[in-house]
Amino acid sequence: MLDKTRSRLRQAFRLDGGGLIDRATALHFSFDGRQLTGHAGDTLASALIANGVHLVGRSFKYHRPRGIFTAGSDEPNALVELRSAARREPNTRATTVELYDGLEATSQNRWPSLEFDLMAVNSLFAPLLGAGFYYKTFMWPAAFWEKVYEPLIRRAAGLGRASRLPDPDTYEQAYAFCDVLVIGAGPAGLAAALAAGRAGARVILCDEDSRPGGRLLSERCEIGGEPGHVWADATVAELESMPSVRVMPRCTVFGVYDGGVHAVVERVSDHLPVPPPHQPRQRLWRVVAKRTVLAAGATERPIVFPGNDRPGVMLASAMRAYANRFAAAPGRRVAVFTASDDGWRTAIDLAAAGAEVVALIDARPAVAPELRARLPGVRLMQGSQVVATAGGQRIGSITVRSGAATETLVVDSLAVSGGWNPAVHLTCHLGGRPVWSENLAAFVPGAGLPPGMTVAGAASGALTLARCLTDGTQAGSDAAAEATGHARKPTTLARSDDEACAISPLWHVAGSTGKAFVDLQHDVTADDIVLAHREGFGAVEHLKRYTTLGMATDQGKTANLPALGIVAALAGRAIPDLGTTTFRPPYTPVAIGALTGHHRGKSFRPTRRTPTHAWAEEQGAVFVETGPWLRAQYFPPPGETDWLATVSREVRTVRSTVGFCDVSTLGKIDVQGPDAGTFLDRLYINTLSTLPVGRARYGVMLREDGFVLDDGTTARLAADRFFMTTTTANAGRVYQHMQFCHQVLWPELDVQFTSVSDQWAQFSIAGPSARELLSLVVDAPFDVSDAALPFMAATESTIQRGVPARIFRISFSGELAYEIAIPARYGEAFAARLMQLGRRLGVTPYGTEALAVMRIEKGHVAGTEIDGRTTARDLGLGRMMSSKKDCIGRTMASRPALLDPDRPAFVGFKPVDATARLRAGAHLIPCRAAATAANGQGVVTSVAFSPALGHWIGLGLIARGPQRLGEIVRAVDPVRGGDIEVEIAAPCFIDPEGVRQRG
Amino acid sequence: MVNRLAPSSAFGLVHRLGHHGAVRPARIAVCERTDLALASVIARRHAERALATRIADTFALALPVTPHRCEAGGVAFIWAGPGQWLATAGGEPGHRFEARLRKALAGLASVCDQSDGRAILHIAGPRARDLFAKGLPVDLDPSVMQPGATLVSAVAHIGIHLWQLDALPTYECAVARSYAHSLWHWLEASAAEFGLTVAPE
Repeated sequence: MLDKTRSRLRQAFRLDGGGLIDRATALHFSFDGRQLTGHAGDTLASALIANGVHLVGRSFKYHRPRGIFTAGSDEPNALVELRSAARREPNTRATTVELYDGLEATSQNRWPSLEFDLMAVNSLFAPLLGAGFYYKTFMWPAAFWEKVYEPLIRRAAGLGRASRLPDPDTYEQAYAFCDVLVIGAGPAGLAAALAAGRAGARVILCDEDSRPGGRLLSERCEIGGEPGHVWADATVAELESMPSVRVMPRCTVFGVYDGGVHAVVERVSDHLPVPPPHQPRQRLWRVVAKRTVLAAGATERPIVFPGNDRPGVMLASAMRAYANRFAAAPGRRVAVFTASDDGWRTAIDLAAAGAEVVALIDARPAVAPELRARLPGVRLMQGSQVVATAGGQRIGSITVRSGAATETLVVDSLAVSGGWNPAVHLTCHLGGRPVWSENLAAFVPGAGLPPGMTVAGAASGALTLARCLTDGTQAGSDAAAEATGHARKPTTLARSDDEACAISPLWHVAGSTGKAFVDLQHDVTADDIVLAHREGFGAVEHLKRYTTLGMATDQGKTANLPALGIVAALAGRAIPDLGTTTFRPPYTPVAIGALTGHHRGKSFRPTRRTPTHAWAEEQGAVFVETGPWLRAQYFPPPGETDWLATVSREVRTVRSTVGFCDVSTLGKIDVQGPDAGTFLDRLYINTLSTLPVGRARYGVMLREDGFVLDDGTTARLAADRFFMTTTTANAGRVYQHMQFCHQVLWPELDVQFTSVSDQWAQFSIAGPSARELLSLVVDAPFDVSDAALPFMAATESTIQRGVPARIFRISFSGELAYEIAIPARYGEAFAARLMQLGRRLGVTPYGTEALAVMRIEKGHVAGTEIDGRTTARDLGLGRMMSSKKDCIGRTMASRPALLDPDRPAFVGFKPVDATARLRAGAHLIPCRAAATAANGQGVVTSVAFSPALGHWIGLGLIARGPQRLGEIVRAVDPVRGGDIEVEIAAPCFIDPEGVRQRG
Repeated sequence: MVNRLAPSSAFGLVHRLGHHGAVRPARIAVCERTDLALASVIARRHAERALATRIADTFALALPVTPHRCEAGGVAFIWAGPGQWLATAGGEPGHRFEARLRKALAGLASVCDQSDGRAILHIAGPRARDLFAKGLPVDLDPSVMQPGATLVSAVAHIGIHLWQLDALPTYECAVARSYAHSLWHWLEASAAEFGLTVAPE
């Protein structure tokens, strides 16, 4: 009981009755450490107002005290840090943050405290900080920019702080499809959704607010004789009862894209202290709609006058929202400054809520008498303007000018109403441009709407409730009929009245002194705009960039049009002649986490696992990313801590006894059909059609431009069936290349191919004891002898009691070696089996690192040599090119530049000092030449420490390399500071005659 | 005498059996299907019509030429693209199914065993559509896709081949085996809010 009393006492500005809040539920929260209470249904802003807190933040540049300016997502001022530690979120708008029990909010951009901010000293330097100050004040000396000025400016400016910790919450993405997407659940949107839903269409209704209803929640209005919010609730209840309708609150449609795609962010858990189990914080939807009804409403715009940024100055419609929806009094002594009929509604509602309306200041010389009659007893100052405000951390008085006279009024808050801007943003995302409405003094949707989109209600410029309902119903009905092809159904319409909405625009109270803010969030003043115009940056796009107007997180929703009004007056032109800046997604800020969704950390992109992954993990393998794959790099046993020691041991074991390696990641393509041989002949530079069944052959293929695309071995399994392999890195690319060649170039070839990369677990078994290990693996009576299974043989058999297998006698290591392919599901068990069967022989598993060492020792080219810049000739493979047939890239490969004898060509390198370490990437320079790019003759592409030779070796390309064997050059590595002498050598360092692999 | 090699689960589901997520009973049930033999069937040039006739004669089913699945006597042909199908058969080793098809379709189609190339998940339950909505850019609404229909698309950047078996709805989803773990990671994270049961086959 005590608690309840205290909380009510604290909420000193909470109205006694009314409002759409749950007074039975008290929610405790803190702002800058102060413990406060609010109610369910509050936003952070409304709860602060109910507690009389108006000073909420400090401004971006001048650190001026700022309060709550709006009641919606257009808020420029009331930006706070929400939550703490890893969940700390900067720049959240207090006006859209739903209150929850335990909410922690902190003001930002102030030091040491919000009330006493030392950085406010910036205001003293205001003359130096005007428009374009970056470009002027800090120009000299130039060297100071990066080291002194920029860090200083960055420290002084900016708003909230990111947490700098990993986000503990999850995000996800989702797709939804509908006939009609309705954007906005105000009166027009609800009417549209209802009409479309009743017509049987699949409807999605999105609204950024937690509660559907739009302005119906904030206005004292009636529909069909009931309060507007009651009608809204009933409508939502009917919509939710329809199985084909999905009502999505807390969902902002922030972008429109081609094909009826809409980007929507759903704040699933932002209204909770932490997300419930298995729920994301936010969800990014892609909603694909056949038709779209944009019913995004309108936002009120301010009038620019000196001191218009003081806490307590608020948009008139926001004051109505706080009073009517949240039962929170924005002030006790209120003045209203308006240029339209709409401001009068605020005065009427506030008076009804018990506030003292000190004066209604209407800039227009005359207003409709019936309007006057609705506000008896309130002082009306017609043809008057607010020219100054005073107060410390909150407005205390205003100065009003009427004709020649000025008068000061004591107030604690000031409502400002400069008219309404239809929310045209989404109509412009596919290139549409808004058009000027003289009647509303605002831009309304123009031509070039996204295909399938119609605009209804205030967003189209229909500002009155009756028109919102009529338009919405019509738009929903039409959209449903167009999307479904069904006939239109007659719709019943709820009755309501049209309210007064006349306006005579007033952008800026001229002829006064003091800072008048246009863009509150970026601290852009009317003087800045005058200055930009004077300095030649008056065109809207220039103005924006010179002053940073409209470039803050609110994208100038309350600022852009008043700025245009000011420039138009200066230039003596009409606003529509100036145009607008471009409206781009997102409509309101979107967290990167929502855009990333599931794809972060290890899920940044999908990972391909080899068939032996789990087994390799058990062996303690170290993994490496190779393209999309995760492969075992080496297998360090306990106690072996140096990777090079492990790799050298693996290499020595293979070269002395036997080892095995999972090579399943090689691209594997099954090629069949009567024309399969012809097809392969056209792809490869050498001939594959002559390959006998049961044999394998190495092949090289080129791109259209004559450079090497890929290499690999191809085996012939039957007259009309080949099994080709690609490198791991190029598997997808080669498959794509083959599809293109077949579908586009040679559709006449009767050939079919499909990727079988995932079908087969493939193992290389290599080393002098490989044959013995193979004999232990295969099923009898398979003959492993050299006569039955010679070098480059390919055959099908079974292993381990009936597991189908393909056995190839091919060698990448230079040793006696076989590759065994078995169905992938057996890969893991087979690796364990090889260890078991090979234990007596001293078998070792080896990883990609040992594989690379052995291929470098053998001088085989790989990805670092086939890098898209080398020809077959460069790589010493020129003689493979068949002269008896054509192939892709053949003609282009014989261009003179590619036949230049001075082109770098493939050789090996060994350091003159055997203890020196060679580095891949080192540039090859003649011994006595300066180490400059101009003297470069080639590069080292691959290096390895050869355990057999006991020193580092390398492969690379150097001009006329094969003719320079034995010559000494320098390998200069400017990145790591290496500069050593190396001898050019033949690329094959071990067993150049190939005796071992044929053994 | 050596033991036969033990097959492994592509998704590693042996370690994931049981209930996941908050909701009980689970609204989505998943198991891996390792019993299905799979083979890609690609029509030879100009042989589609003859192939359809042969398949009708041999397997008593109509070869689908639109994205659909046709099943008869335990063998199904699932459309996989123009002139391409994924053929499935229950309880038969993959290489034997390939051999059977090669013989039956000789000269009319190229056949290739994919029983280990693709891993198959059987996914059923009232929230299965909501699960796929979290990654599949295709409308699975019953007004658009009914039992018997199939599609080739991608989930979480992973290519999948999906077919619908019944109106519960129940789906089967084929994925390149090496991507199975990544797909599973997405699935488990996405299905948890609906409650997920992982069952043995």
